[in-house]
Amino acid sequence: MKIININKADWNTGLKKTADGYRLIGPVMDQGFYLFKPLESGKVPDMGFTNTRLSAKGIIYPQSQTLFNYSLDPNREDHHLLTEPEDAHQLTVVIGIRPCDAAAFVQVKRNFDAPDYQDPYWLSAYENTVLVGLACDQPGSTCFCTTAGGGPYHEDALDVLLVDEDDQYLARVVSEKGAAFLAKAGWTETADNDLVMKTIATRKEAAENRISSTIKTNNLADAETMAIYDAPFWDDVAFACINCGTCTYLCPTCWCFDIQDETHGMSGQRMRSWDSCMFPLFTLHGSGHNPRGQKVQRVRQRFMHKLKYYVDKYEAGIQCVGCGRCVDQCPVNIDIRKVCELMNNAGKQSVTCAA
Amino acid sequence: MAHMGVESERIHFSWVSSAESTKFVRVVNEVTEAVRALGPNRRFVKSHGLDRQSYDEKAA
Amino acid sequence: MIGYIDKIKQISKQILEDCKVDMVIGFRRGTVPMMNEPCVAKTEDDVDQFVWDGHCGINLANYLMGRKEKIGIVAKGCDTRNIVTHIIENKIDRDQLYIIGVPCKGMIDRRQVNNRFEGVREVIDQGDTVKIIGADFEEKLDKTDLLQSNCATCTHPNPVIHDELVGDPVEVPTDIDQWADVRKIEAMSTEDKWGYFDDLLKECIRCYACRNACPLCYCPTCFVDESTPQWVGKSQDPIDVRTFHFLRAFHCAGRCTDCGACERACPVGINMRVFTQKLEKDCYDLYGWEAGLTTDVRPPLDTYRADDPEEFIK
Repeated sequence: MKIININKADWNTGLKKTADGYRLIGPVMDQGFYLFKPLESGKVPDMGFTNTRLSAKGIIYPQSQTLFNYSLDPNREDHHLLTEPEDAHQLTVVIGIRPCDAAAFVQVKRNFDAPDYQDPYWLSAYENTVLVGLACDQPGSTCFCTTAGGGPYHEDALDVLLVDEDDQYLARVVSEKGAAFLAKAGWTETADNDLVMKTIATRKEAAENRISSTIKTNNLADAETMAIYDAPFWDDVAFACINCGTCTYLCPTCWCFDIQDETHGMSGQRMRSWDSCMFPLFTLHGSGHNPRGQKVQRVRQRFMHKLKYYVDKYEAGIQCVGCGRCVDQCPVNIDIRKVCELMNNAGKQSVTCAA
Repeated sequence: MAHMGVESERIHFSWVSSAESTKFVRVVNEVTEAVRALGPNRRFVKSHGLDRQSYDEKAA
Repeated sequence: MIGYIDKIKQISKQILEDCKVDMVIGFRRGTVPMMNEPCVAKTEDDVDQFVWDGHCGINLANYLMGRKEKIGIVAKGCDTRNIVTHIIENKIDRDQLYIIGVPCKGMIDRRQVNNRFEGVREVIDQGDTVKIIGADFEEKLDKTDLLQSNCATCTHPNPVIHDELVGDPVEVPTDIDQWADVRKIEAMSTEDKWGYFDDLLKECIRCYACRNACPLCYCPTCFVDESTPQWVGKSQDPIDVRTFHFLRAFHCAGRCTDCGACERACPVGINMRVFTQKLEKDCYDLYGWEAGLTTDVRPPLDTYRADDPEEFIK
């Protein structure tokens, strides 16, 4: 695999060169935490972050998105036509995305790019996005990517993986899309040699060793669904939950949405916004019946979906990349690592007690 | 409302009995004049969806 | 504050053993620094996992609504004020409750600690000081410098109702201006006020953690979830976001105890207390009312008195 050496002195000028072909997005510190924001007019990404407070999912799948506009006003030329918003997804590059957030796109893609149905909005955004990842040398204390199918140097889901090595970035070129972006920035100095490979391997191992948190998922796939569903621990797990949407909105792999028309006079638009299985409204039927009317049912659904239904349906592991955001930000400290342990143990023939 | 940044001159409370027709006229006139003096409300108006330009034209 | 836990456990075990209650609501040790998890103990063994320190900021009154059991509850000053509000609003019966009152010295602001220190691994409340341990550092700070902002200006740290207290009442500070932040906003121009709240709410993701962490927000269907009619749009439109925060605060007028649960719960660090504090201040200025201090007086917003201020009506 090709490795490009980017001197940090050339970093900002290179990024600037790409601005006329790409919309640049990168981590920015504001109000005490990092978020991915458009890097307008020469703003540079701040690469000194552990992880952004919100995941990168909103770049491809915005929290609120207009699907189309419409008007019934006969005076308008486009009346009774559905028109797409003008700012349909432009070619975008995400600088500094963590390997976990990128891996999440692969998991989410299974839903938005299914054999029977392909979501045109998500897919066009995904195809028009270049993921320039930043290897994670200082993972957080709640990160558990290495046991969630990824790792701090995991590059499969990326287009480029940047490794921060003193005054340079070593850029592993993973895809054509990534190569094109690097060329546009004028970064062409190849550095394919054993020494560089060894440096990356050493750093990778050190980073993996810094991940102190782990989960076990080995029994989930073979477990009886109902054995976990009916397990006795759900009331205790759910007691503290306040049914807010923090975990689902911060999660890079949660994909559920709600569709609404907003009408103003004769015109309007159809929008979709993130929704959350934590909200009672999520499952409320038109009849007034709610199949998940109780808190414990909603909490169970979230974990069952991530750690059992998804596992069974796609046979590609759990729907979680181990970024730790829900653990860090849950207002009442419900911890997916703990719940995963309970579920994994419930899947065993002889149930052993969780620590 | 005023605390949030809506002009306090837009906010009026009055108690008008069904027998107080002259007071009713006075209050309506006062409210209308006060709001007209401020011009169109630009806060607390959703900008998307509503065609802003035609909204402004209407308001002018 | 540190010594409280033995007493909390002892009382909890006793009332469970005496069948005075079916369950006790308290806190157990969390899995991340500065987070304890609300939990319920139904047996004396369950009680052994209870903890108490400066990381018990969640308002446990939130877990009482609509429950039919007899409940023991560990409650700080603000929690008891919300319990009083629940009793007034018929959400729970006083006879159902055994209140284990905790005189409170304030809760640690985890956001502030995480902003000031990178990679915090453990935070130990040592009473007057707080020890902060990271991967490669250890710091000791005065607790008063790390308090949640509502705790720093708290005027009711002692439980207002209780069946038992776990310690002597703490000293109540008298020289505190609890509404300094509100005054700052009141002094702004209309233009600046609008901009201030625009900026305040710009990162809101409408997860409703503030609403759901609030013991006052117990409506079966919140106005933001109503669809016929739909009061508020569902998108991230700034006006919809603002409408949510603004109207929610109004629903808390005369009821809010400034317990700080909303601000503490927010994943993006918004201090939405500047809305509720304004209403709290107005209730005090207009009606001399502080919420949740007594079950004997009806709150100002559900009573009429001939001398209610009415200067705003022209």
